[in-house]
Amino acid sequence: MHLSPMPSAIVATELSKTYDVKVRDPGIKGALAALARPRYRQVRAVDNVSFSIERGDAVAFLGPNGAGKTTTLKMLTGLLFPTAGKAQVAGYDPWSGGNPFRQRIAFVLGNKQQLLWDLPPEETFRLNRAIYGVSLADYTTRRAELVELLLLGDLIDKPVRQLSLGERMKCELAAALLHQPEVLFLDEPTLGLDLEAQQTIRTFLGEYRRRHGATILLTSHYMADVTALASRVLIINRGRLLYDGELSELVARIAPIKRIELVLSETVSRARLEEYGTVAHYAPPRATLEVPRETATAASTRLLTDLDVADLSIQDPPIEEVIRIAFGETEQDAEEDTVRTDVQRAPP
Amino acid sequence: MSPASSRTPFATFRDQYAELMRSAFLVDLQYRASIAIWLIWGVTEPIISLGIWWSIAAGGAVDGYTREDFARYFFGVALVNQATLSWDAWNIDRWIREGEMNHRLTRPIAPIHEAIADNVAYKTPTATIILTMWIIASLFWPAVRIPFEPGRWSLAIIAIVLAAAIRFLNGYATGLLAFWTTRATALVELQFGLSLFLSGRIAPLSLLPPRVAHVAEYLWFPYVLSFPVEILTGAVTTSEQYLRGFAGQAIWLAIWLALYLVVWTRGRRHYGAVGG
Repeated sequence: MHLSPMPSAIVATELSKTYDVKVRDPGIKGALAALARPRYRQVRAVDNVSFSIERGDAVAFLGPNGAGKTTTLKMLTGLLFPTAGKAQVAGYDPWSGGNPFRQRIAFVLGNKQQLLWDLPPEETFRLNRAIYGVSLADYTTRRAELVELLLLGDLIDKPVRQLSLGERMKCELAAALLHQPEVLFLDEPTLGLDLEAQQTIRTFLGEYRRRHGATILLTSHYMADVTALASRVLIINRGRLLYDGELSELVARIAPIKRIELVLSETVSRARLEEYGTVAHYAPPRATLEVPRETATAASTRLLTDLDVADLSIQDPPIEEVIRIAFGETEQDAEEDTVRTDVQRAPP
Repeated sequence: MSPASSRTPFATFRDQYAELMRSAFLVDLQYRASIAIWLIWGVTEPIISLGIWWSIAAGGAVDGYTREDFARYFFGVALVNQATLSWDAWNIDRWIREGEMNHRLTRPIAPIHEAIADNVAYKTPTATIILTMWIIASLFWPAVRIPFEPGRWSLAIIAIVLAAAIRFLNGYATGLLAFWTTRATALVELQFGLSLFLSGRIAPLSLLPPRVAHVAEYLWFPYVLSFPVEILTGAVTTSEQYLRGFAGQAIWLAIWLALYLVVWTRGRRHYGAVGG
């Protein structure tokens, strides 16, 4: 069912996914009770989510752990089918699109690899060339381009198990792009990587999209991924889409702050630290200050000059914080706003 | 930006298999020491069985089986067992439990083809090693020689391929139960235990108590080991025996293929509903 001409790359319409999760009380007693009389709780992982992404756009999917990002991606790649709603990706229904659909997408999971662990990445590249039916001429050109853009060099001849996490992720991306997918799904591609590798991957994804017009939907914990790659963000929390719009608007909406994390070598009072910014966290020798984004560098320089600082780092506020600030949601709201319903089931 | 290739589907499929087998073989090479140990373990069991039957038959033939018959039989068991082994249930169990199934499900080739290629890549060299050992042994030990009958050997090869296909589908389909349960591999272990007796691994089937042999006839076990071994050793002689054997193989192949298709389709749907 290939719809044409030129539909949006991704259309999600009222997508929902509900899981039945077995609940059991802790301990042996709980385990035995669960055996005799299983209880289930329905968890709505994704709740009525709608959005569409045009061809060639890059969109970031933001949200804390367990927000429903990966579940949505799994529905869009055809791994899971929705409990309600529907999706269209590259003109196909992901669930029934079959191999023609799979030829047009790539799904890279930051915490799972497809590279053959015992062999050099080159072997996975060869295998993917055959699996996706890429001609030798196209393979040679694309491989050369990916090696150049991702700075792979001689990495592709080393066994995967000898590569660092960042090197592996770069090779994962190359393996996933050899068939030149129209739509690229990336689940936490920079998770756990050092700053340099994160930067290489961000630059690469931007350049690749510019050259090939690929559509990118990525999930991330890191604001920096989003700022570098996507002008548009989708924010999801507890299964619900909270925000769909320009990143700049979001930044304007939240207090545009940076966090300065400090480890002090001397005892400095909380009051003294307040001179440099808002003290968000104070547990000597550690402290976290919140300062306006534009004065973060200046504040750091002053801190380093004035105080005996063992360690200092400037960071974006964590996603959880952004969501909290942007949507004025408190922990108590979260409790009340529960999307979970207990369902008592009769024993089988 | 069309990913579609201009080649025929058959050429693409052949290319996919060639690369799947190549990478499986390269991975096996990395584990050559483990493979050597498994290979030794694989021949140890028939050698022990042979040792036991060799001493039992010291005083004369047992139900028509002489010492030499036992020797040929267990050499056949070592070869056929190596060529028809199935470890796929453990792989699938891991793919499903540890999320390794996900990337396999987003590729334009069903995961079973990777498993088939893996089997061919592993069994071809290892069964060849056992065959070579058999040929070398037969130079020094006349008891394990089998008569040169190209027709019989060709039929034996067909029977071994069918046996490998049945055992493969049996293991693969059982492994796919991991979509629902964490105990799929325990079911495989149970079948493994039964197969010791019912497939003729520890004794030729004709030496089993008649009731047990009778039960075995209604299951797939005799067709995946005993039948091909007995073609090799010359115990299968009449056309009726051949017909029964090949008919049994064809039926069980069809049954396990159908079971695989059912479990795969339903399992995939279940996985789509509940996730990994």
